[in-house]
Amino acid sequence: MKPARFRYLRAASVNDALQALAENPDAQILAGGQSLIAMMNLRLVKPACLIDINRISNIGYIDEDGDGVAIGALARHNDVKHSPLIRERCPLLTEAYESIAHHTVRNRGTLGGNLCHADPSSETPAVMVATGATLMLQSLRGQREVGAEDFFLGTYETARRQDEMLTEIRLPGRRTDGWAFAEISNRHGDFAIAVIATTLRIEDGRCEAARVVASGVGEHAARLEPAEEALIGGPIDDARLDAAAAAAAGAVDPHSDSHADAAYRRDAIAALTRRTVRRAAARCD
Amino acid sequence: MYVGQAIRRREDERFLRGRGRFVEDITLDQPIAHAAFVRSPHAHAAVTHVDTAQAAAMPGVLAVLTGADWTAAGHGEAEGVWPVKDMSGADSRTAYRPLICVDGVVRCVGEIVAMVVAEDRHQALDAAEAIEVAYEEKPANTITAGALDPDIPLVHPAFGTNEVMVTEHGLKEETEAALANAHHVTEVVVPTNRVTAASMEPRAYLGHYDRVNDRYTVWTTNQAPHIVRRYFTKSLHIPEHKLRVIAPDVGGGFGMKLYHYPEEGLVLWGAIVCDRPVRWVGTRSECLLGDTHARDHHTVGRMGFDENGKILGVKFETLAAFGAYESQWQASITNAYHFTMLSLAYDIPAIHTQVRAVYTNATPVDAYRGAGRPEAVYQVERMIENGAQEMGIDPLELRARNLIPPEKFPYQTALGITYDSGDPPVLMGKIKALADYDALRAEQARLRAEGQWMGIGISAFFDMAGAGPVKMMNDLGAKVGCYDVASVRVHPDGRITVFAGSHSHGQGHETTWSQIAADRLGCDIDHIDLVEGDTDRVPMGIGTWGSRSLSTAGMAVYTAADRVVAKAKRMAAHMMECAPEDLDLADGEFTVKGTDRKLSFAAVANASYHSGDRPSDLEIGLEETSFFDPADCTYPSAIHLCVVLVDPETCAVTLRNYWAVDDVGTVINPMVLHGQVHGGLVQGIGQALMEECAYDAESGQYLSGTFMDYAIPHAEDVPSFGLDAHFTRALGNPLGAKGAGESGTIGAPACICNGVIDALWHLGVRQITQPMTPKKIWRAIEDAKRTQH
Ligand SMILES: Cc1cc2nc3c(=O)[nH]c(=O)nc-3n(C[C@H](O)[C@H](O)[C@H](O)COP(=O)(O)OP(=O)(O)OC[C@H]3O[C@@H](n4cnc5c(N)ncnc54)[C@H](O)[C@@H]3O)c2cc1C
Repeated sequence: MKPARFRYLRAASVNDALQALAENPDAQILAGGQSLIAMMNLRLVKPACLIDINRISNIGYIDEDGDGVAIGALARHNDVKHSPLIRERCPLLTEAYESIAHHTVRNRGTLGGNLCHADPSSETPAVMVATGATLMLQSLRGQREVGAEDFFLGTYETARRQDEMLTEIRLPGRRTDGWAFAEISNRHGDFAIAVIATTLRIEDGRCEAARVVASGVGEHAARLEPAEEALIGGPIDDARLDAAAAAAAGAVDPHSDSHADAAYRRDAIAALTRRTVRRAAARCD
Repeated sequence: MYVGQAIRRREDERFLRGRGRFVEDITLDQPIAHAAFVRSPHAHAAVTHVDTAQAAAMPGVLAVLTGADWTAAGHGEAEGVWPVKDMSGADSRTAYRPLICVDGVVRCVGEIVAMVVAEDRHQALDAAEAIEVAYEEKPANTITAGALDPDIPLVHPAFGTNEVMVTEHGLKEETEAALANAHHVTEVVVPTNRVTAASMEPRAYLGHYDRVNDRYTVWTTNQAPHIVRRYFTKSLHIPEHKLRVIAPDVGGGFGMKLYHYPEEGLVLWGAIVCDRPVRWVGTRSECLLGDTHARDHHTVGRMGFDENGKILGVKFETLAAFGAYESQWQASITNAYHFTMLSLAYDIPAIHTQVRAVYTNATPVDAYRGAGRPEAVYQVERMIENGAQEMGIDPLELRARNLIPPEKFPYQTALGITYDSGDPPVLMGKIKALADYDALRAEQARLRAEGQWMGIGISAFFDMAGAGPVKMMNDLGAKVGCYDVASVRVHPDGRITVFAGSHSHGQGHETTWSQIAADRLGCDIDHIDLVEGDTDRVPMGIGTWGSRSLSTAGMAVYTAADRVVAKAKRMAAHMMECAPEDLDLADGEFTVKGTDRKLSFAAVANASYHSGDRPSDLEIGLEETSFFDPADCTYPSAIHLCVVLVDPETCAVTLRNYWAVDDVGTVINPMVLHGQVHGGLVQGIGQALMEECAYDAESGQYLSGTFMDYAIPHAEDVPSFGLDAHFTRALGNPLGAKGAGESGTIGAPACICNGVIDALWHLGVRQITQPMTPKKIWRAIEDAKRTQH
């Protein structure tokens, strides 16, 4: 055993888990463990108590939800990645999964755990923000809905309160939106150096709505509004592409680390914006 | 004949079924206690206080030990096996890696300050966390290039300098003259990145002391168990005959598992103190930090050409990192394996090289697959590539003009080393055809017109493998004799056990040594078992490193088997009433030539042990040992060629194709050869594109402590390799085999870097430090744009 000592509780139901969360303010939920256990083994985190939700039945679903999709807390990365429903209704997420982690990690890790972990270079928060997903948080005190844009607050920091469990992720229907995802990493499957997830609506050759969301270049996934504004109001032509790319680069304030420096990240954001906008425009119905 | 056949590896069933027996799998009668270590979080600091009281009182704790206890017990440090003198004739400024901090100063992140031994691993880790160490931080330097600059903090102030030693080799005046008279001179600054082996099995040790018999045993992840005994004579002062060293199944070594690591000595110390066996199994983070690192050269080179691109001379000045301490074999790399090979596959009349070894506040550097030769190939090949580009000569054509022609073999290089055999032009012809080189150049031109960046990389080299001979390696500095040993024991039932002083940790000796022995003994390969990695069972050994095992231990197997056959023939001749020369041995039977008279090998073996009816001067038994000292090193050669694509927008590199044509002399098992080449290539690709042991320049903190930060290639990151071979016989051993363990890592970094440079040359890019991550390529392009404007 490499982690520091902890208590282990196994929840049989969501209610069980909520009860345990309320009673143990220093507890953490254990989902796939692909982020949490690694950090515990390095003793970077030392939760006093783990609440294992893996034995709760019927929370790994991926279901129709109106014209959107509802994803349960325990849906594994690989289930989401290979879901035909998601490919049809939220293909942006399917495309993003081409770049997320490795087979074994995806077999165990969950989308819900991934979002709660809120790694600043994770791909999925960008997709959630780009598609306008809603996260359902539940506690003994009740249930609330938080829009993805309001959920990610900082590095490993979310709007989830200590006694809340993320129980469901709701993805809206795609309607006529075009979409594209692109990232750069040093090695395929690694956390990203820079990510852009883009959705566009084009009507009569005119860009009506756009979301350009970056990850890996700030504390959390965030929309690059100047880039969106540069796109809206006309056709997606070279001038708009250039303007959006420049605006995207100007809208981020990236950090430097051993994987990439700030200047490169900024340039990468411009390149990825250009690439995703071009592809998303081509995919508009 | 078994030699030459792609026989499936006999060891693989056990590994594939998870039935290997590694250090962590060993069980003993006594319960095994566990060690945990407190390591310095600072790159350079004074240790002002170590408080162990709280830890010592924690549940399950058997002992808490510090450097003060080590000193009080009178223990020492492990000596290097390859001490080298400075060119002045003075001893080098050597400070060996301590097993535990004894002088109150830690000089790199990860240096061990205290050890806890506890009933289980969890308790040991908890107690280690409870030890309070007070540090006073000192300024640190982790950068090799600046290690000798004024005002750089000294790692060992007692020496008054960070320089370990300076050595020079080659033809100084001739080289200066060649450069002065050259039609064109290329100059490049080429730092070789710091990497580490990242073996699949982390390092692990188990120590045991048998008080009744006064015998010590260490189970260790080591490539050379007999050498481990030698280290212990100096660290714990244990005489060699009192210590049994067992290296069971080991999951990868790559040179990195040759050394007397601190944890190896400390677990045995813990076992003695606690009267309990003590084990430590490294975590990935401990190993990425504490395993020896490798490469880390900073080189300035100049190469002179005549107007036809013929190389006239080349000069190098290198700073070679040793890290915070001199690891046991490190001096062999800069002083035996680096300078010797700087001529690569080229006929270069004048070469001169100066190496200054330097201390930095970083993990000690030592051998890793290729050890010195990847650096050499990278340094020389980068000059050749840039020279060809600058002179507007096709890079393959320029190389072809400089290859050593077959009629010049044996070929003595400007550094005094003689390559016994090889035929580089044939290798070049084969790789040109294999890759369809002319079509690649046409494709490159077409893609470039479309704004796509494609590059073709080439590297061509010789390796020095198969160390010894003993005398030659002594002359290069070795204090250990570079021979190897095998015993062939025929049992009375005719079945055979081979004992070899080599150690297989992925190489497949159980298969290839048995192939050699079965051919010599004319028996079924399934009648042979191999024993390696146990100093109580194998008479002696120098171990597996530097692509040496086949041409030393493998030849000892060959020689011992021949001696067994010679003796068995005398017994058989006595039994069959003929002369030994009249006998053939094949398929387990002796046959009298030209007759159908047969006698089974098993019957002769049985008689050798149990019959009183034997020649009067023939000793009982059928077992022979050979201490094989090769007549020469071996000199495998290869040419590599690759295609890279660089994404113009993101600067990410895709390695699209990779070809290699190897000359490794006689091949024992082509499948094992391909495995060796594949594995080496992947590690070389890692060095080129993603691997780096990185330190924060300001704080000296280590930044590559997990596989999230230290990237090694995945299967999907490498293309399918195109391999071919050409064989010239090695002259130094009877099989003509050259050794094949390192070709991939030696050639790939240079090849890939040349490919990337070729892709970006038209943008003004002249050099990119490896690993060539997207950010570095982007930066190089930006810098080139700026200097061109
Ligand atoms: C080698 C490797 C590569 C990876 N590469 C990537 C990558 O490229 N991109 C990427 O995005 N991720 C990557 N990951 C991380 C991976 O996606 C993890 O699965 C994910 O981050 C966490 O999901 P999990 O189910 O494993 O959660 P856990 O590790 O079990 O939990 C993570 C955190 O979320 C909390 N939590 C989990 N579920 C809930 C819930 N329902 N309600 C409230 N809190 C909850 C936990 O308490 C914990 O704090 C990688 C991981 C590894 C090991």
